[in-house]
Amino acid sequence: MQNIMFWTCATFAIFASALCISAKNPIRAVLSLIATFLATAVCWLMLEAEFLAATLVLVYVGAVMVLFLFVVMMLDIGPATLRARFTRWFPIGVALAAGLFAAIYAILRKAAGTLTAHENLLSYAAEVSNTEMLGKLVFTNYLLQFEVAGIILLVAIIAAIGLIYRGPQARKVQRIAEQVAVDPKMRVRLVDGA
Amino acid sequence: MNILWYLAVTVVCAPLLGAITVGLLNKKLSRSLAHWITCSLMLVCFGASSSILVGFLIGKFNTVDIDLYVWGNTSNLSIAVGFLLDRLSALMIAIVSFVSLVVHVYSIGYMHDDPGYQRFFCYISLFTFGMLMLVMANNFAQLFFGWEAVGLMSYLLIGFWYKKEAANFASLKAFLINRIGDMGFVLGIAAVLYYFNSLHFKTVFAQISTLVATNPMLAITNTVQWPAISFICICLFIGAMAKSAQIPLHVWLPDSMEGPTPISALIHAATMVTAGIFMVARMSPLYEYSETALTLMLIIGSLTCLFMAILAIVQTDIKRIIAYSTLSQLGYMVVALGASAYAAGIFHLVTHACFKALLFLGAGAAILAVHHDQNIFKMGNLHKYMPITAVTMLIGNLALLGFPGTSGFYSKDLIIASVRNSSLTFSTIAYYIILFTVLITTFYAARLMLVAFRTQERMAEDVREHLHEPRKVIWVPLIILAIPSLFLGMIMITSILNQFFGDAIFVLPAHDTVAMFKTQDFHGWFSMWLHGFVSLPFVCILMGMCLAWLCYEKYPALPGIIQNDAKLMTRILLAKFGFDDFNEKIIMPATRKLGNYCWQIGDVLCIDGIMVNGTANSVGRVAGVLKHAQTGYLYHYIFIIVAGLLALLVWTMFL
Amino acid sequence: MQNYIIFSTLLFAIGIAGLFINRKNIIILLMCLEIILLAVNTNFIIFAKAWGDIAGQAIVFFVMTVAAAESAIGLALVVLIFRDKHSISVDQLNQLNG
Repeated sequence: MQNIMFWTCATFAIFASALCISAKNPIRAVLSLIATFLATAVCWLMLEAEFLAATLVLVYVGAVMVLFLFVVMMLDIGPATLRARFTRWFPIGVALAAGLFAAIYAILRKAAGTLTAHENLLSYAAEVSNTEMLGKLVFTNYLLQFEVAGIILLVAIIAAIGLIYRGPQARKVQRIAEQVAVDPKMRVRLVDGA
Repeated sequence: MNILWYLAVTVVCAPLLGAITVGLLNKKLSRSLAHWITCSLMLVCFGASSSILVGFLIGKFNTVDIDLYVWGNTSNLSIAVGFLLDRLSALMIAIVSFVSLVVHVYSIGYMHDDPGYQRFFCYISLFTFGMLMLVMANNFAQLFFGWEAVGLMSYLLIGFWYKKEAANFASLKAFLINRIGDMGFVLGIAAVLYYFNSLHFKTVFAQISTLVATNPMLAITNTVQWPAISFICICLFIGAMAKSAQIPLHVWLPDSMEGPTPISALIHAATMVTAGIFMVARMSPLYEYSETALTLMLIIGSLTCLFMAILAIVQTDIKRIIAYSTLSQLGYMVVALGASAYAAGIFHLVTHACFKALLFLGAGAAILAVHHDQNIFKMGNLHKYMPITAVTMLIGNLALLGFPGTSGFYSKDLIIASVRNSSLTFSTIAYYIILFTVLITTFYAARLMLVAFRTQERMAEDVREHLHEPRKVIWVPLIILAIPSLFLGMIMITSILNQFFGDAIFVLPAHDTVAMFKTQDFHGWFSMWLHGFVSLPFVCILMGMCLAWLCYEKYPALPGIIQNDAKLMTRILLAKFGFDDFNEKIIMPATRKLGNYCWQIGDVLCIDGIMVNGTANSVGRVAGVLKHAQTGYLYHYIFIIVAGLLALLVWTMFL
Repeated sequence: MQNYIIFSTLLFAIGIAGLFINRKNIIILLMCLEIILLAVNTNFIIFAKAWGDIAGQAIVFFVMTVAAAESAIGLALVVLIFRDKHSISVDQLNQLNG
């Protein structure tokens, strides 16, 4: 059962990500990336990372990818500008990626081979939930890192706003001081009726 | 020991403090504050140094050699800042700070209207600091520091009126000629370091006997070999020749009279030029073992003594006359050193400092009175208007020519007697030369007095109306200096002969000409005075006086007739034996050509062309090639990164 | 476990290939980065389980935080570039060439 589940999700994720990088339409790319995330989240669940899987769906799919979608739509780039994507770099890129895949896989295999668990993955202690374990760890051992991560997020927010913000534009503001100090002559013009 | 330490530090720091304060604040200080600060600090310095001298005289202090701190350290050489205080340096600091104090006070009047007033006081205080460091040094490095410091200050002070072209020329000349001497001096110090492995006087002097015993030879060229000790002594003496203005490195001193008169008094008469004499006396343990160097000093000294005195006869500038007399007197001191009569040399140095400072300051007063005209033939009969100046000048001149009873008499007679006692090859000739120089000295001194202070009034009418005795700050120093000029000799002669310098000066028994004089001819200062009236030098003095009286009082036309008849001699004398012309026509173009060549090859081509600009150019060229790798396209960069990552991974795999 | 490793490495390779293939759109470049980070995170989770050590998951947590910050700033920059040049084509961004 688990195997079938894994194969389905993994294949789905691989296809979706391949679609993402090759899509002509950026909106389609964003949507396929969302699919990739969802499928991967299922894989994470099977690896007993329930909290992280939930976070991936909530934060990535729910917030980050929506932000991506938002920007793509705001910038309004037609699919017409995305022509001629596959250049002479395509084979080189694919070859490099393949080489990288082979190399990393070989190294990871070697690393996994040294593990005692071999092909069988361990199971975490059953009586404690994943969230609780992770929470205890993050709020004790990694407290400082956790705080720093918070600050990084804050800085990111400020930076993003600071980059984008262009100052008040076409805002309707009431200038009370000017209103009070107004001179009747500026408002009323006497016209000679005769 | 402890109190001596504090006194020594005070002596050095007081003038330095004054110089720093006045120099940094400069125009922010009012004029009166500037001279109050420096003069009072000089008074402190003089108080401390004179109490050191008194302490030594009454036997409270003994010779000390203190290192204040280590300034630098390498594997086998440590350079310290320290003081060697013995009777020699105690006497020197006392005389330096005394003359400096007097000159400080005098400058208040002399420099009264000068725009660079504060700068001037900064310079002379700093100069005093340098001279004191030189005199109190206990190692060669500090000696060299003081040596260079006084050289620098002399350069700055000669060129004090920097808008005057002649002053700039003279200051450069002094600086360059001192560099020539410094080359010898540095070589000498290097040789000392090479043979003794130390720069400390104490260590060096302690090893001399072993060096003399082994007597190493130094190869000057492939075939010529010199004893190392002679090489060291002659190199050091070359430094002294430039500083103490001996032939042929004397040419800067007459020109240095372009500086303000107090400077001429302080630096170019009383203190700095005597640094060479002091240095040789300090090195007496070295010089004693090199008869070559001693003979060289006898020759150079006696030649300087005679020829510079002759030049003084034809000068008309009052300061230049005194400058040439300084050269001549320095010649006397060098002759004394050559005859191993170090004590006599230092004794003459001290008395000379007093009467020469007096002469310069008196000359300065006369120059001020006639509105900065230095020609003695535009003065005349000044004694009627400024009697104090005239009388003090007379005292100074009597001391200069060694009239029996004055301070100059005792020191000069001691030198003459020592040279007579010397057994070196050249000493007999040197004896007659310096004896003859007494005649010439008397002649030009009398000429100066007669022409400037007596005979007819030759100044312009409007100048004569304003003639008067100078301000109090000017004539008080004159009187202060006149007193030791008269009496210092009588007071000091007995103690000088009775081992005044103790262990500070070392003389081999065979060379000890001063002791010979003491045992053979000396019966107390009074009998020496009386004996002075029947000795050979007095005959010379009388002859010189008569000649001067004939030429300038009785028959004033006589000098003109002689000048017309002996045209060649006059030309030679006016050209100062051609030393300046030789330097300017031969040495200067040659060095210039050499310098130009070095500049073109070494500087423009090698340093600028290859090293400085070459580096920049080659960096530019390499960068010009490399910049094409920066295409600006993200995917190129990514390609490089990923390819690099792949290469690293593969490498790790096969590791 | 081997299958999981193949899966994550394949994701990584696809992300890298995406960086090359893309010429026209910086946003897709950013998405490729997201794919690469996802692959890395997956690896962390796999090995956390293999070691039986939950710390691997904690690291994934932090990586995700930083990745979120990165994509926010990256998108802001993309918007700026678009405003400036009216294009987000990778081809046209070569002002830094030598």
